[in-house]
Amino acid sequence: MRRFVALLLREERAIFTSPIAYVVLSVFLVIMGYTFTLTLFVSHSPTLVHLFFQIYVLFLLTVPIITMRLVAEERRLRTLELLLTAPVSEVAVVFAKYFASLSLVVLMLALSGAYAITLGILGQPDWGPIWSGYLGLVLLGAALIAIGLTTSSLVSNQIIAALLSLSLFLLLWIIDHFGWMLPDPFDAFVVNLSLLVHFTPFATGSIFLSDVGFFISVALLGLFLSVRALARR
Amino acid sequence: MADCVVVDRLLKRYGRRLAVRGVSFAIEEGEIVGLLGPNGSGKSTILRILGGYLPPIAGTVRIAGIDVTADSLAARNRIGYVAEDAPLYDGMRVGEFLYFMAAIKGVPGRAARGAVTAAAERLDLCKVLGMPIGKLSRGYRQRVAIAQALITDPPLLILDEPTNALDAYQVIAVRTLIRSLAGRRTVLVASHVLSEIERIASRVMILVDGRLLTSDAMREACHACQFRLRIGGSAPAILAGLRGIPGIVAAATELSEGAESYRIELAPTQPVAEVARAIVGQGFALSELTQIKPDLEGVFLDLTRRAASVEAEAA
Repeated sequence: MRRFVALLLREERAIFTSPIAYVVLSVFLVIMGYTFTLTLFVSHSPTLVHLFFQIYVLFLLTVPIITMRLVAEERRLRTLELLLTAPVSEVAVVFAKYFASLSLVVLMLALSGAYAITLGILGQPDWGPIWSGYLGLVLLGAALIAIGLTTSSLVSNQIIAALLSLSLFLLLWIIDHFGWMLPDPFDAFVVNLSLLVHFTPFATGSIFLSDVGFFISVALLGLFLSVRALARR
Repeated sequence: MADCVVVDRLLKRYGRRLAVRGVSFAIEEGEIVGLLGPNGSGKSTILRILGGYLPPIAGTVRIAGIDVTADSLAARNRIGYVAEDAPLYDGMRVGEFLYFMAAIKGVPGRAARGAVTAAAERLDLCKVLGMPIGKLSRGYRQRVAIAQALITDPPLLILDEPTNALDAYQVIAVRTLIRSLAGRRTVLVASHVLSEIERIASRVMILVDGRLLTSDAMREACHACQFRLRIGGSAPAILAGLRGIPGIVAAATELSEGAESYRIELAPTQPVAEVARAIVGQGFALSELTQIKPDLEGVFLDLTRRAASVEAEAA
């Protein structure tokens, strides 16, 4: 456990001393602030649904930037050799990188909580959809980071890792459009791979175990593939 | 002494290229062994397999009796590893990095302070503990890399080109440090610099094109046990006399320091004292008898030439 904590702290430090984290946070908060203010003044309704969908899109665009360096950089700088000749397991290395990245995503969401508090002060929002929306976003972030970590584990070029993640995210975003064109039973299978299909219920105030299971399954699959990719070296 | 490292028929392939071809060797506890070979001969690959970083496609590596592939973590617990060109986390400060390495190597919190201080003092890093690694000179980086390897005082130290790109003073310091570990710790050093390996190691293995040509080049060099003699008198008579002495395999004249001398090669089991007595017994005025030091360079060139010709014949 002590070894894992040391790895986690190093990853946290690497993320929060990098300008990338602050650029991502700043862009995220500026866009969120603009959207929140605009929707509040236009709709006059105490809801964060629009904000959740905006965060969903921003996650698809920013998570590849957060995850691209995780393993690819270590491979390129050969610090992976330093790390994996020490008595630490691939699982510990992958989990440390994963939870450190997830902490940045959770921080982004926590800061966006200011909008929920503002709604609470100015009006009487329905807190159910707000909590379920945040739960959906945490699960979405957890799944996206795991996919980003996998692509970063497969290549040693950060840009390629980011582009691979982005391509996968965009594919999983719009895959339901292709799914509807397929014959039964393939349509249901492909539609169920869509991130948006599983996220929409959370954003609108419904929590289904199938959606929770989907995001957790994607996260676990991503972590498993990352460990395998690291062990393959 | 027991074997600290046992490598048996190791094979490693990169794509279609065989990087390591059936390498076997053993290293006793307390030995300082050099792995010499040209660039691309497979030295770093072997060290990475020993360090648990790369898995072999066949063969076994045992460190202190532990199979590196089957129980990698336990084996890595007994290793201090310095990779080629000392890859380090440039964004971390030296002290912070050493504490981090102590933590992931399982040094308990209280002991970590002592371990870091001891490693820093040993490598003369106390002045730079607060500096970011990215701002250190090449020599300091190398020292930081060695310090992290020594932090748990492991029984086996694996060093890949430890004196690469260091200046003369730094090379001497690293060499002195490695030599100081002799007898207490087992050290495996890889290098392509022959003179460096010759000075550091007590035994030298030569690797060419993934094949281990010898696991003791020094002994190979001593095998042809050669001596230089200074004898007064007529050269043809002396040569004929020397060649007639039992135990002398070959004799020839040579010019040494401007004067004519004789080079003789003894049979491997032949005591030199007996030969000296026989020379004097024949009535020659023997004024000097010096052993010619083993010529590692000669052995290296000879072995690589032989390997190349075997390869050419096979092709």
